[in-house]
Amino acid sequence: MMDVGRHPRIELMAYSEVEGVGGYVGNFKVKVRKKARYVREEDCNSCAECAEVCPVVVPDEFQMGLSSRKAIYLPFPQAVPASYIIDMDACLGTNPIACGKCEEVCEKVCIDYDMKDEVVELDVGVIVVATGMDVYDPTELDEYCYTRYDNVVTSMEFERLICASGATEGHFVRPSDHEVPRRIAFIQCVGSRNNAGDKGNRYCSNICCMNTVKDTLLLRDHYPDCECTVFYMDIRAFGKGFEDLYMRSREEGVKYIRGLPGEIRQDAETKNLFLTAENTLTGEVVEREFDMVILSVGVIPRQDNPLIKKLLSLSTTADGFYMEAHPKLKPVDTPTRGVYICGCAESPKDVKDSVTQASAAVARAMTLLNAGEVTAEAITASIDAAFCTGCGLCAKVCPFNAIVVDKDRKTASVVSAMCMGCGNCGATCNQGAVTMGHFTDEQYYAQMDALLEENPENKIFTFACNWCSYAGADNAGVSRLQYPATPRLVRTMCSARVTEDFVLYAFMKGAPVVLVSGCHFADCHYIDANRQTVKRVYRLWDKLEKLSIRPERLQLEWISAAEGQKFARVMREVEEMRKQVTAAEIEHTRKAVAEEWEKKLAREAKRKKKAEADESRDEVQVS
Amino acid sequence: MPNEEKQTAAGDGLRVGVFICDCGLNIAGSVDTQAVTDYAATLPRVVCAVRNRYTCADPGQNEIKAAIREHNLNRVVVASCSPLMHEPTFRACIASEGLNPYLLEMANLREHCSWVHGGDKDGATAKAKDLVKSAAARAARLQAREETSMPVTQAALVVGGGVAGIQASLDLAGAGYQVYLVDKEPSIGGIMARLDKTFPTMDCAI
Amino acid sequence: MSQETKFKCLRCGYEYVEKYAPDDDVERACPKCHSNSVRPEKAKKADAAKEE
Repeated sequence: MMDVGRHPRIELMAYSEVEGVGGYVGNFKVKVRKKARYVREEDCNSCAECAEVCPVVVPDEFQMGLSSRKAIYLPFPQAVPASYIIDMDACLGTNPIACGKCEEVCEKVCIDYDMKDEVVELDVGVIVVATGMDVYDPTELDEYCYTRYDNVVTSMEFERLICASGATEGHFVRPSDHEVPRRIAFIQCVGSRNNAGDKGNRYCSNICCMNTVKDTLLLRDHYPDCECTVFYMDIRAFGKGFEDLYMRSREEGVKYIRGLPGEIRQDAETKNLFLTAENTLTGEVVEREFDMVILSVGVIPRQDNPLIKKLLSLSTTADGFYMEAHPKLKPVDTPTRGVYICGCAESPKDVKDSVTQASAAVARAMTLLNAGEVTAEAITASIDAAFCTGCGLCAKVCPFNAIVVDKDRKTASVVSAMCMGCGNCGATCNQGAVTMGHFTDEQYYAQMDALLEENPENKIFTFACNWCSYAGADNAGVSRLQYPATPRLVRTMCSARVTEDFVLYAFMKGAPVVLVSGCHFADCHYIDANRQTVKRVYRLWDKLEKLSIRPERLQLEWISAAEGQKFARVMREVEEMRKQVTAAEIEHTRKAVAEEWEKKLAREAKRKKKAEADESRDEVQVS
Repeated sequence: MPNEEKQTAAGDGLRVGVFICDCGLNIAGSVDTQAVTDYAATLPRVVCAVRNRYTCADPGQNEIKAAIREHNLNRVVVASCSPLMHEPTFRACIASEGLNPYLLEMANLREHCSWVHGGDKDGATAKAKDLVKSAAARAARLQAREETSMPVTQAALVVGGGVAGIQASLDLAGAGYQVYLVDKEPSIGGIMARLDKTFPTMDCAI
Repeated sequence: MSQETKFKCLRCGYEYVEKYAPDDDVERACPKCHSNSVRPEKAKKADAAKEE
């Protein structure tokens, strides 16, 4: 921590928040709000005289509220930057009549009541997100009575009770009577691995088992006659040196009981606590009395994750932690190029893993920094200003915020370096203004013409996204999973590239069944572009119904790169559906869609004429 | 034909070459590759159709290179395996003959056809023909694409000053880059600063 | 606002009711055949009813 404060190339901006992120990989522009501390950081020498005279006493959040601090305070003794700060919510007032005591005693004159927030803009090439975690609050678990019983504390509070610089200066005492507890129980998996109810989380928080093992050893070390009992589901001691530590704890006499207590009861007089649990190894029901109970609470995603997620176009897992670009091959990259994740922001992990992952993220960031230049995907969209009306629909669906709309000139344009080439904009634009490089409309129509020219009634026309469904079909091949030879696949980068017109065109060309397939929601390589696929398919189903075409003939399926089995099964199922489609139906469809298509062509011709007229008018004006 | 014209050729100037891979018996075992090759030769704008034993191997790639020179090809279709497997190989191959790598199209005759329709040689061959036809139609409409590059600002932003953010900042700064470390709290340290000791070595957190 | 909405599976024909909102971020599949081709009953009807 000290090294960070001292390093000449690190500009530390504590008590600051990222407010805006613009630009793109290699060239981000970041807005950071430096909140007012009311104490000039560079001048404060943390002499503490201000705090001594400050009359306001509030709970100290660093000590988990177990002790108190003043309104002007140093967050903790080793804080970096080593500067005091005024908590303006608690401060009596800047008016000398109200208080102003701290300013009077400050010899270095570094207190400034009029300090204002400052917004600075930074130019950076890469961004490392290490926003960390929050700790689970067990208040909602009625059975553990965390807020009702004084002597039930969390593992986080335990840290501040046992720490030499903690709330009790290292004297481990229980809150109710400040006596040293002799019989201590730990309850594991509090807020974690809960598959049943709606409280807590389903995932394993990773660190709590070893944290408890560590706590028991600390207790046995400080108070050799204390008795520790751990109630657990499983002890997960999988890391290097973990099993040794666990065994040491057992050898020290710590009791491990496999089974979680159903509830905690309190003796109103002694404030002692009673736990009842079934030891699932022996089948016995254990009832014990304890002086203190420690809830081994889990790790949760930071509550401000959604904010950073939006600013940086990241995605999160169902649990709320940031998602990596690929679970195995790109574990510290994010879907946004030039942004990397590490530490508990990515998933719950211990100090060693956080440090390891931070170095990994930096190595990835440095491959970009060190290269000195970044090449943009050649598969990018472009917008023809002549056709663009500046409606902004494309910008709305762009998962990478790569489209800038100029409201005055009523045009949109693509920032190529930010465009990842999903094609969602192309499928959304209803003016025909977007050209998707390397995957143009013209190319798709040519492919459809080619594939449906002969005997279309025998073919399942399939759109498959590059990353998942196409790869899923590859997987079926590699696994030699057999299915009928009727499907005809065309590749799209994302299923969101598939326009409604593409599907209608395939039907007009006589396709009996059309299948649109893409990545599962969690796997979408363009953050959430495939949500638009769903919306388009819903609209198409409505449209088909309106044209008296069975909506069933348009199928939708999410198939991952590993789901060769699913791909083959879907193809077999859809083949059965194809056989049900009659020649008369296909004929009706051709006619019904062709009529719609005529109208569409007429609209387009009109637009083209208008665009040309506008252009020639512009030219006249210029000349 | 000068290189520039090759990249921008359109309409009647288009000269598509199709290379059909046997992949030993992987494709040829259940697809009549000769029939597909003969069919490919009849497609519009296709000026040469060649059957290879293994298109990805050096002799196969050399056949592509020779045909680009001999037939003045400006679009290339390789009908072999999945593009997820060998697209980079064949892009590099045509680039070495001066063609823009984006002027390549692949038809997936192995993973999407021969391997999954083993018992249906007629069906598989018909499908293979369709896939080649579709690829040739797309190839005729491909355009050269240029990958543009931009400079990278030699500075990094680290959001969050817990143990991960601190390590990341020190590593980046140690490597010589300017680092901005932003933390919401008045001090860095994060959760780690609140811990007394850490496992498995029982050492101090701060 | 998510509402109880009738869904029909366009693969196997199974009909079921599930909470649905146009902007919810839920990957849907038929509880019976697991197909993703599940269609929500047109929201229009509900809107039309409201307007009346």
